[in-house]
Amino acid sequence: MRLWLALLMALAAFAPLGAGAQDRLTLDGDLDVRWVHATGEPSFMNGGMGILRFDPAHEGLELGRAFLAPTWRIGDIVSLHAVLDTYGDHNRNPVDLSELYLSVRPFPTGPVSFRARVGAFYMPVSLENRGIGWTDVYSITPSAVNSWIGEEFRTIGAEMEARWLGASSGYLGDFALIGAAYGWNDPAGALLAERGFTLSDRPSTLFGYLGSPPIGFYHEIDRRPGYYGGLTWRHHDRLEIRALRYDNRADPTASTQSGFYAWRTRFSSFGARLEPDAHWTFIAQSLDGDTAVGGDDGAQFYMRFRAAFALASYEWGRQRLTGRYDEFHTHQLSGFFGPPRSQDGHAWTIAWTYDLGEHWQFLSEWLRAVSNFPPRLALDEPLMQTQTQLQLGARYHFKAGW
Amino acid sequence: MDQRNRLFVPRLLVVAVGSSVQFPNNDSVSHQVYSFSPAKHFQLPLYKGEIHPPVVFDQPGLVVLGCNIHDSMVGYIYVTPAPYFGSTDAHGALILKDLPKGDYQIVIWSPYIADAPATLTRLVRVEGTGSQAERFQLKLGLRDEPEPKPRRENWDY
Repeated sequence: MRLWLALLMALAAFAPLGAGAQDRLTLDGDLDVRWVHATGEPSFMNGGMGILRFDPAHEGLELGRAFLAPTWRIGDIVSLHAVLDTYGDHNRNPVDLSELYLSVRPFPTGPVSFRARVGAFYMPVSLENRGIGWTDVYSITPSAVNSWIGEEFRTIGAEMEARWLGASSGYLGDFALIGAAYGWNDPAGALLAERGFTLSDRPSTLFGYLGSPPIGFYHEIDRRPGYYGGLTWRHHDRLEIRALRYDNRADPTASTQSGFYAWRTRFSSFGARLEPDAHWTFIAQSLDGDTAVGGDDGAQFYMRFRAAFALASYEWGRQRLTGRYDEFHTHQLSGFFGPPRSQDGHAWTIAWTYDLGEHWQFLSEWLRAVSNFPPRLALDEPLMQTQTQLQLGARYHFKAGW
Repeated sequence: MDQRNRLFVPRLLVVAVGSSVQFPNNDSVSHQVYSFSPAKHFQLPLYKGEIHPPVVFDQPGLVVLGCNIHDSMVGYIYVTPAPYFGSTDAHGALILKDLPKGDYQIVIWSPYIADAPATLTRLVRVEGTGSQAERFQLKLGLRDEPEPKPRRENWDY
């Protein structure tokens, strides 16, 4: 609590520096504090099988997130981006990096422009998380699809993009092909297999742990790089379509002495965001894939999974109202004894945000998730559980430049 | 040609050949304006708090502007050799005053006009007294023009 107050005061002291600066170094930051009321079983964050971030033992005043996002413009086409996060939970690092990468964007000299990112960053999948620091701009909690992307995935490697810019040909939109090669994402899939999909705005950080028991994520185990390839199409600044194929190419028989296993995880993701006018936004996104660990000797753990959501959001003046429906399924087909770790669930989210000037935003969100998960039998709990979470939040944003 | 809320303001600017155009940046973020149109190739980083020289447009033609940081920003500078020109108002009207008597060719252009360009030129004779009106009726109407949405500070994730 004292840490938050110190941070808030530090942020408030920074804020007036914004004007008239040169923008060689810019610093964005958020402090997001919530009042939370939750019902249902203990959260996965606290050793339970609940799929929401908070639970009845962790409600009241909570730190949603505090981050600092410096951008250093090294030259006209090269910049260094970092996001430094704290969530005030069980993470072993009180403050940790979420992203750190170099961005190279040469000026276009023709209709096709080439760009690259090198470092650790989010892959271009989510159509919700478009705020600074990968913040969801439509609600507090991202969909199950993008909660999982935030929890288990960071591209630690290099990404190239070739983008055809339509404007010079009279077409208002562009089309991009994106490809990346990366390492250190071999454990991706372990968390999904352990506890299914969640709805949580608590992404992992690069060096920290998540949840209880704590899980770390970014390890290179088999020395085999993974890849993803995708395309985005932006039509008339109203419609954006994204497709991506991800394969970490992990060797499912590989593990480290410290107990990290390589999970062979693959998925396809499709999404569309339609903004027909100045008020409405509609998003639909789906993800479908599988993960496996262990040798192919009959004891391999193999799971298929799919999740999707549909969202409608209406923005007027300083306000935004969003409704979202999520559906998510995992299906364990082989491996391990005990009840299958197969999950079936759905969730409804309603969020309302209000921008109070440049720095402050008020947020509120109601979320109800219903999930069926056989491993709950081991805790003598009903297989089917309903959880609700009500959050009222205040977010302070500041920007400074030098 | 200003930039506000991640939009070019105005979206379309008509200038005479040889004009120099200032690119102030009245936005809360930096921009990197470029064009690779045949009429003018240029790259102009517009960092906040820095002063930038104007850009001279010395070839006639259409210059399509983009921003290397914000892909959705599109602007147009139409560089014309015509002695009389302007932009229409919200009602589609343009008034040219004090035209000397003579024969003129009217050419109209907009990035959103779908009609064939040949149907949008007309020869007219200006008699030199009083006012004279020419009316162009678009057959296909304007192309579906995306209403630019002032963007919050989104990052391209």
